[in-house]
Amino acid sequence: MADLGYYKMHALIIDDFENFRGTLYKMLMDLGIGNVDTAASGEEALRFCKARTYDLILCDNNLGKGKSGQQVLEELRSTENPCSDSLFILVSAESSKSIIMAAYDYEPDAYLAKPITPKALDQRLGRLIEQRAELKAVQAAQKAGDYQQAIKLCKELIAGGSRHANSCQKLLGQLYLAVNDVAAAEALYRTVLDNRELEWAQLGMVKTKLAQHDYLGAQQWLENILQGNPLCMKAYDLQAELFKLQNDTEGLQNILQKATDISPLSILRQQALGDIAQQNNDLVTAANALRRAVKLGEHSCFDKAEVHSLFAQTTIDLHSIDKELAKPLVRDAISCIINYEDNFGKTQLKKAESLLLESQLQVCAGDQRRAQEALSNAQTVLGNTKDADALPVQIEMVRALRVLGKTDEAQRRLTDLLQHYASNEDQLQKLDVLLDEPRSEKNKLMVAEINKKGIAAYNAKDFSAAADSFKIALQKLPNHVGLRLNYVQAMIDKLKSNFEQSTNEKIQQAFTKASAIISTQHPQYQRYRQLNEVYTNLVKAYEKNSRG
Amino acid sequence: MTPTTDQPSDNGNTGQVPIDFAFVLASSVHDMKNSLGMLLHTLAAMMEISPPKDAEQARFFSTLEYEAARINGELVQLLSLYKMDEKTLAIVIDEHHAIDIIEEQIARNDTLLKSRNIDIQIDCDSDLVWYFDNELVGGVLNNLIVNCARYCKKQLLVSATEENGFLCIAVADDGQGYPDNMLLGPLPQAAVSFNSGNTKLGLLFARKVLELHKTKKGQGYMTIANNGPLGGGVLKLYLP
Repeated sequence: MADLGYYKMHALIIDDFENFRGTLYKMLMDLGIGNVDTAASGEEALRFCKARTYDLILCDNNLGKGKSGQQVLEELRSTENPCSDSLFILVSAESSKSIIMAAYDYEPDAYLAKPITPKALDQRLGRLIEQRAELKAVQAAQKAGDYQQAIKLCKELIAGGSRHANSCQKLLGQLYLAVNDVAAAEALYRTVLDNRELEWAQLGMVKTKLAQHDYLGAQQWLENILQGNPLCMKAYDLQAELFKLQNDTEGLQNILQKATDISPLSILRQQALGDIAQQNNDLVTAANALRRAVKLGEHSCFDKAEVHSLFAQTTIDLHSIDKELAKPLVRDAISCIINYEDNFGKTQLKKAESLLLESQLQVCAGDQRRAQEALSNAQTVLGNTKDADALPVQIEMVRALRVLGKTDEAQRRLTDLLQHYASNEDQLQKLDVLLDEPRSEKNKLMVAEINKKGIAAYNAKDFSAAADSFKIALQKLPNHVGLRLNYVQAMIDKLKSNFEQSTNEKIQQAFTKASAIISTQHPQYQRYRQLNEVYTNLVKAYEKNSRG
Repeated sequence: MTPTTDQPSDNGNTGQVPIDFAFVLASSVHDMKNSLGMLLHTLAAMMEISPPKDAEQARFFSTLEYEAARINGELVQLLSLYKMDEKTLAIVIDEHHAIDIIEEQIARNDTLLKSRNIDIQIDCDSDLVWYFDNELVGGVLNNLIVNCARYCKKQLLVSATEENGFLCIAVADDGQGYPDNMLLGPLPQAAVSFNSGNTKLGLLFARKVLELHKTKKGQGYMTIANNGPLGGGVLKLYLP
C-alpha cells in the first residue's frame, strides 16, 4: 500500500475495556501511526477532542455507563470542536449497521465489527484515508462555502474516472441543491435512476421536488421509497418536512409516530413528536414521547431544558383531564424536574420554575404537604419581580396556585399581571393561556377564525375536521370554555355516527377539564349541562344496544 | 429494536401468555453474541499476554478462535434471518467495488487463513463495480471463506466477473468437492435436520440475501458445482 502518511497522524481510541484499548493501541502503532491517545469513556474522549484535532477516532459503540459511541459521534458532529470532521470509525460487537443505522441521526465514516484483525483494520483505514485524500479539495471548498469550486472539482473527478465517482455523484447532487440549481440536481438524479433504483438518488429526487415546491411529486417519490424500504429513516424525515411545509399537523404527528416506532432511540424525533402532539392537544402521546426524549437526553448533546419543562407541564395537563393515564408518568416527571436546575444551570427563574412545576406534580402525586412546601419556596425565590423575563414563571405561578386550590390568590395575581401588561400585545398573548376569553387581538382573531372554520365543517357534517380545528386552538387557549364546548359538541356528533372508544375517551377528558374550569355563573353553563345530558344518554343507549 | 410487551395476552381464560418463541430465541441469540464477543476479546488479550510457546499451543489457540468465530458468524446470520422475517432488516443497495468486499472478508479471516497455511488468491478486475448491500453480501462471502477454509487442502480462489448482466462472485477450493445431496437437491427452505450436524443455515442465509437483490433483470441466485478451477468445489453467487 502506498505511503498514506500514517506517521503524521494522531489517533484516539475510545473503549471502556483496558484490554481492548491495549490491543487497538498496538495495532495502530504497528501500522505506523505516529501518535495514539486512549480514553476510557465518551466524556473523557470529548474533553480530549476539545483540546486538539485528531485525524482518526476509533470508538466502541457500547461504552458501559455514560455516553454511547453514537452519542460521542453526534456531539462531535453537531457542536463546534476541532474534531468535527475527523475520520470516525464506530466499532461494535453488533456488527450489523442495520441495528445502529436506523436509530441515530449521524452516520460514522465506517463501521468495524469486533473481533478486529490487524489486516482488516489496515485495509479499512487505507481505503478511508485514500478516499479522504482524493476528496479533500472538494470537501475543503464545500466547507469554505465555495460551492461552485466544489462542483467544478467534483465534475473533474467524475470525468477523470475516479474510483470514488459514486461518492462524487452523491456530493454533486447535494451541491447542486445547495446552490439551488434544481434543474441540474434533477438531471443528475434522473440519470442515476435510469440505471438503478438507488435509494440516495430517490431521496435526492424528493429534495429536488421540495425545492421546486412540487409537493405532490415529492409525496409520490416518498411513497415509492417507503414501499421499497419501510425502514428508510431519511424518507421519514423528509416526509415530516413535507407535512410541515403543508401545515398538516396531524400528518406530521402520524409520520413522527411511525418513525419513532421503528427507531425509538432517536432523541430528535422523540422531541419533535412530543412537540407536535402537544400542539395537537394529544396529551397522552405528547407526554409519553417527551418522557422518552428526557430519558434519551441523559447523555445526549441534544438534550434541552424546554423538553424537560414541557414534559412536566404536559403531565400536569394530562392529569387534569385523566388521572389514570397520567399516573404512570408523574413520578418520572417529578424526578426530571427536581434535577432540572442541576442539568440546565442555576438561575433564580429556573429555580422558581422548577419549584412551581414540582408543586403541581406533587398535587398529581397526591402529596399536598410537599406541594405546599414547593410553592412557598417558589414564592420566596420569585419575590416581587416584575421583570418581563419572569412572565412565563409568573404564569406558572398562577397555574400552580389554581392546581393547589388557591383560586383567589391566583385571580389576584392574574389581575395584577393583566394590568401590568395591559398595553403590551405580545405579553397579553402569553397571558391568554390562563384566560377563558383572550385579551390579545391576535388570539381574539384566532378564535374567531377557528370558530368560523370549525362551524363551517360542522355544518357540512364533517365532525372530525371540526373537532380537529377546535382541538388545535385549545392548545393555545386551554381555558376557553366556548372553544371547549364546540369541541365537545363536534366530538359527540362524531360519536353518534360511529361509536368509537377512543372518541368516547376524549369526550370524557374534555368534560373533566370543562367541569374544572366552568362555574355555574358562566354564560355557557346551561349549554354545558345540555351537552353533558346528550352525551350521557348516548352512552346509555349504546351500552343498552351492545348488551341487547 | 425495542420489543413491545403490551401484546394482547388474552389466551382464552387461562390467563397464560403464549410464548413468542422466535422472539425469545432472537433475544437470547443477541445475548449469546455479546458473551461470545467478550470471549473472543479475552482470548485475543490472552494470546497477547502469553503467546503460544510451541506449534501445538498455537494450534489450540487457533482452534479456539476459529470455532468461536464460527459461532459468532452463525449467530449473526440467525439474527439477520429473524429480522428479515420480521421485516426489520434494513437493506441498502449501493454501488461498490467488488474487489473491496472480497479483500475485506479475506482480511477479516487473516488469522484463520494464516494459521491453516491457506494460500488464498483473488481474481478480480479492480475497477469492477456493482450494486449490492455490501454488509449482507459481505456476510455471505465471509461464511463461504470460513467454510472453505475448513474443507480445502491449502488453496482457495475468490473471483469476480460479469456474466450475462449479473455479477458472479465465485469461491473455489481444492478440497474433495461438495457432497451429492447438496449438488442435486433443492436448497433448504428452512434450517434443517438437527441430526446431520449441519443445519445448512449458511446456505439459507445466502439464499435469502440473494433474494433480496432484485432488479428488472431478475433476482440473485447461487449455484454449487464440483470440479472447479482448483479441482474441488465451487460456489457461485450471482447478483443482478
